[in-house]
Amino acid sequence: MTAYLLNLATLATIFGILAASLNVLIGYAGIFSVAHAVFFGVGAYAGAQVALNLVPDVLLASLAGGLLSGLLSLCLALPALRVRGEYFVAASLGLQMLAVTVFSEAHSLTGGHGGLVGIPPASLLGIDVSSPWRFLAVCVGALTLSLVSIAILMRGGFGRGLMAIRDSESAAEALGKNVPALKTIAVAIGCSLAGVAGTLFAFQLAFINVESFTLEQSVLLMAMVIIGGAGTLLGPLVGTLLLLLLPAVLSFIPFIPATEIGTVQQLVYGLAMTLLMIFRPAGLAAPSTGRR
Amino acid sequence: MMKRRTFLASGAATLAAWRAFAQTQSHIVGTLFPMSGSNAEFGTLYTNAVQLALDHITADRMLKSPIELRSQDSQATPQGGAVGMTRLATVDKASYVLLGFTGVSKAAAPIGGRNKVVMINGGGVGPDLATLSPYFVNIIPLANKEVTAILPWLAKEGLKRVALIYVDDPLGQSINQEFAAGLPKQGGTLVGAFSVPPTQQQFGAIAARVRDVKPDAVYFATPIGTQLSQMAKQLRDNGITQQFVTYSVGNLPSIVAQPESEGMIFTGQAADWTSNEPKIKRFVEGWRTKYKAEPVTYALNYYNGLMLFAMLAQGLERAGTPVTGETLLAELMRVRTFQLAGGEVTFDEHASASSAIQISRVHGGRSEKIG
Repeated sequence: MTAYLLNLATLATIFGILAASLNVLIGYAGIFSVAHAVFFGVGAYAGAQVALNLVPDVLLASLAGGLLSGLLSLCLALPALRVRGEYFVAASLGLQMLAVTVFSEAHSLTGGHGGLVGIPPASLLGIDVSSPWRFLAVCVGALTLSLVSIAILMRGGFGRGLMAIRDSESAAEALGKNVPALKTIAVAIGCSLAGVAGTLFAFQLAFINVESFTLEQSVLLMAMVIIGGAGTLLGPLVGTLLLLLLPAVLSFIPFIPATEIGTVQQLVYGLAMTLLMIFRPAGLAAPSTGRR
Repeated sequence: MMKRRTFLASGAATLAAWRAFAQTQSHIVGTLFPMSGSNAEFGTLYTNAVQLALDHITADRMLKSPIELRSQDSQATPQGGAVGMTRLATVDKASYVLLGFTGVSKAAAPIGGRNKVVMINGGGVGPDLATLSPYFVNIIPLANKEVTAILPWLAKEGLKRVALIYVDDPLGQSINQEFAAGLPKQGGTLVGAFSVPPTQQQFGAIAARVRDVKPDAVYFATPIGTQLSQMAKQLRDNGITQQFVTYSVGNLPSIVAQPESEGMIFTGQAADWTSNEPKIKRFVEGWRTKYKAEPVTYALNYYNGLMLFAMLAQGLERAGTPVTGETLLAELMRVRTFQLAGGEVTFDEHASASSAIQISRVHGGRSEKIG
């Protein structure tokens, strides 16, 4: 039981980082991206390649994953500077589809559909951190660092600028905010953190392929942020815990027949999300007054 | 008066204790199949097969301790596979898990290997599954063996020019390589190999390219049943009248039932539903009675998967050896050859099965053995 709970807790912290990183885009900057799984994937592949070909150091691999994702996020930032709202959603959808094709076809980098297998156990500065407890500690450390960084950034002028853009881009521009620069930085920060989460994910699963970085994953991430509470620090974490752990909790219900387990889980899952959006439209962690 | 919280706590403790007691008395076998989403058809089929095998094992009193099945929904994703396998190995303490799908298998294999759980694949046929883990057992012949079996048949039928439509994954790549290398030896030619992404559902453009290369037969290599269904339908709609050929995925009920599959040839491990051999006859009759449908080879694989467990555990029980993943694997590698429903199955040093391959044709919404 302990190993199972540790596995779930580790995945929850990894997806917590990922949801928090998307929250920088959606919640604070108002950039609705449906391509966040792409940067999760870029980080995962970059980290896995470092681990497979250089050294399985989780810090080095995370830096590589985060940096590469941050750099490639400029592909997303460029359309973000030109379009807004639903037009940006369409642009990011295009990027997501493009990336899945690249992940599937770039065999030498991604292993194609077969993926990358045998990712070695993680170490940190020469210390073995592959045991479930140690790796969870590494992931919790990364999550804490991510949340503290986001909190500090959002309390300062940068964060206020982003929130001004989110509430009214034209008004922010009229007040002298450098909208393109702020948006670019927000996208780069969010995608870098997604890359770090991707690297941790690769170490945790020891296997990655394109199936983990699809549009469905991007939509799930968006749901985590919105259900938890976009634009709040802890909202994405609450959303992650709910969406990631609810299926696991439901699997403990003993009277569901084996052939119906998936259907019942999906029904309960969908119903819970619908009810939450009806009764808590601003998200679970958002203040009930609707104030962010 | 007992407080409600105390009452609930003691109730939970009793339940946990009973569960622990029951586990020590039973053989825990897990299933890790997709039970939701677009691949749920596979999961339901596989689970039905496992349940039929359980009925037969129980009826025959093959084991002293009963088998207890625990199911997890893999959602056909690597993450679902990893979470489900961890749950089965560490919470349910399963010693033997039946699973399918390449991504799920690759994510589950290291977890199962670490926890010494024997994993049985009866659905994925990618050759890269052969060496995932010492505890990973393929009870289904891998796809490259199926291609080797169809090549002489193509030559015999005079189908020398073959066009291949394949998903660019290890399965598709291996089939492409087998055709490129094997067809010339039979006097044939691979006139075109068209790779498609697994999400593609529109094949009008592919049909035009297939028509251009003037093949005698079109071979489909996709592990996704819904995609195969669309390939067959859209190629027929676009006027491709040539012979369709595929591997064991063609045996899915939804494929066999669709009109555009009429005449399609597919390979698969030998399974003659009309045979009077007692084991296969019992499986076929049991399936028809219980599920009011025709059996398919995927179901046979998972039926055999649980039957294999019963045979291994029976041997261990008789020898007074505890039934664990470690002892089950040792018993498998010691015996190697088993008489399962459908014929004799032999496992090689990588615990991958080799068995006779048969060729079937879809006719009137049913499959019939032709070779």
